[in-house]
Amino acid sequence: MLKLVLTRTAASLVAIFGASILAFVLLRVAPADPARLLAGPFATEEVVEAQRVALGLKDSLVSQYFRYIGDFFQGDWGFSFSVGRPVIDQIGSRLPASIELGLYAFIFALVGAVICALLATYRRRRAVDHTINGFALFGLGTPPFWLALIVLLVFFGILDILPGPEGRLSPRQEAPPEVTRMYTIDALLAGQLGTFFDAGKHLLLPALVLGFAPWAFFFRLLRASLLEVSGEQYLATARSKGIRRWTAFRRHALPNAFLPTLTAAGLIFAALLAGSVLVESVYQWPGLGALVRDGVIEQDYAVVQAFILIGAFAYVVVNLVVDILYGVIDPRTRTGSAVTK
Amino acid sequence: MSTSVAEHGQGAGLSPEHGGHVLRVAGLQSEFRSRRGTVKAVRAVSLELEPGQRVGIVGESGSGKSAFALSVLGLLEPPGYVVGGEVILNGRNIAELDDRQMQTVRGKEISIVFQDPMSALNPVKTIGQQITETIRKHQPQLGKKGARAAAIELLRDVEVPAAGRRIDDYPHQYSGGMRQRVMIAIALANQPNVLIADEPTTALDVTTQAQVLTLLDRLVTERGTAVILITHNLGIVAQFCDVVYVMYAGRVVERAATADLFAHPVHPYTEALLRAVPRPDQLAQGPLPSIPGAPPNLAEVAPGCSFESRCPLGRGHKLCRTEVPVSTAAIGFGSGGATAECHFAKERVAEYLDGDATTA
Repeated sequence: MLKLVLTRTAASLVAIFGASILAFVLLRVAPADPARLLAGPFATEEVVEAQRVALGLKDSLVSQYFRYIGDFFQGDWGFSFSVGRPVIDQIGSRLPASIELGLYAFIFALVGAVICALLATYRRRRAVDHTINGFALFGLGTPPFWLALIVLLVFFGILDILPGPEGRLSPRQEAPPEVTRMYTIDALLAGQLGTFFDAGKHLLLPALVLGFAPWAFFFRLLRASLLEVSGEQYLATARSKGIRRWTAFRRHALPNAFLPTLTAAGLIFAALLAGSVLVESVYQWPGLGALVRDGVIEQDYAVVQAFILIGAFAYVVVNLVVDILYGVIDPRTRTGSAVTK
Repeated sequence: MSTSVAEHGQGAGLSPEHGGHVLRVAGLQSEFRSRRGTVKAVRAVSLELEPGQRVGIVGESGSGKSAFALSVLGLLEPPGYVVGGEVILNGRNIAELDDRQMQTVRGKEISIVFQDPMSALNPVKTIGQQITETIRKHQPQLGKKGARAAAIELLRDVEVPAAGRRIDDYPHQYSGGMRQRVMIAIALANQPNVLIADEPTTALDVTTQAQVLTLLDRLVTERGTAVILITHNLGIVAQFCDVVYVMYAGRVVERAATADLFAHPVHPYTEALLRAVPRPDQLAQGPLPSIPGAPPNLAEVAPGCSFESRCPLGRGHKLCRTEVPVSTAAIGFGSGGATAECHFAKERVAEYLDGDATTA
């Protein structure tokens, strides 16, 4: 098990290194010239050239890369000229918002999918199965921005029981003391229940909308594996021991059926953490998605570069966790090869 | 009685006399329902098992052997349903129990070993977890440590080497034969009165088959467990069983003491089955003997004898095509209780008796 953790961690480091090179190179070959953008459209060629030297763009690519990585680890992620703030400040304020939203969306999706998949398969009720499956197809086929607008219209516009697109808190609500910068968690830590409920109300719609398609995806995956596993002989063995059908299902079917979903869950969780441009836009959510959208439009490449690296980091870390969880659930993956015991 | 469905009479749950039988199945019927029709997989099967007795059920694939086993345990899963009959285990009709009550019966009074040990164990749980699961269910007083000690003891008993260490292994670290030993350990963990072994050696290679069978023989003899051995290997039946039931198309077509069945098969199907056993000394004489035709489609049972279309005896007899043969007692030779479901059973027995008289 320790060997598994070590080898997977090493592989993850290699992957992050690769991603950093990619982030670095992609933006060097992108058409925008940062020196020209900084100096402005009316600057003379001499000024732009001087700017290039000042930015270190005249150095060799290798030394530029090492400077970039060295700065990155020291917290200098570059300067966002379009906003006029260091990139790390911007990301520091945006990332927790995206993580909080992504986290809740993921929890809705996964917990909902497990419950629905069990409902759809355990009792073998055709009507239940068909109904949930219909919802899942709807979830997979619905554009999230459309759904985001529709639920906003219903729950804010018509019923008026949930807040409108005003970000993470009501306008007059003060943010809780900063610990994790995730408002629901910080509010709980500070014991501010009012803030907690306010943040929760603001999270509900965007998290549900963002989690809807992943829910549908997880549900269909889990349902298929549960159906497959429920025909396995070891369930009959468990039942022949006098174990309750539900206990046999939970203890023997679910862990086996969960493996394919776990892989997918890792990928989707990482994607959710990195923010969603469309849903964040609709709800005025101050997350990473909106930041990167603006960064791309403004050709503010320090922002994009930092985002790529953070995204890669999220994917790699989440997949590392998935790999280790795989080892915990399925003993067959613990050893490098099946032959060496 | 064998053709009629036994009704659930009042107070059938605890009949005062169960005649020394640890298990008595009467008129058990189960079916599989699908949109295309209902397949009657088990058609009024009756079976008696005395304490410590070994009964073999033989028959080709699809004859209803496994469906019968699952029906007895109440483990038939939809679309399969038990639709009639009694299963009297230790004096009470377990076919009437609900699932909650059956949970105290399964694994304790009656248990089962499945055919394929590769898929009968959960790949993500240790061997120990899977054995202690049944011990802790039925002997909770042992506690966690006691159950583990009992599981190690069981593993030793089924001759798994280094049991104390290998109890924490996973199924993929065990060979097929070892896994089947584990399955036997699970089945015998709570000293059941009845063990159903559903083709326990079919998935194993021949040398392992012999080892597992010898082990099973020793364990059930020591414990006095009655066994229903389901197989299509007649050699195993000859070696292991006291009584043989021959199943065909969801019915028991012949029942006899093992020696009698091999010496005097009354039902033509039994005879054909025995003739189909390959004999190494006769292989040079041509292709292996086989039974022409295929078993009937149990979704639409035709009138008459279900073996009629393949039967060398019944050819041309109108009776065989129109009348379902009743179970006829094959009285006259061997131990009592032999029956055969054939219109010609009496004639066949008489022939055997004549033959025996002339050769004697």
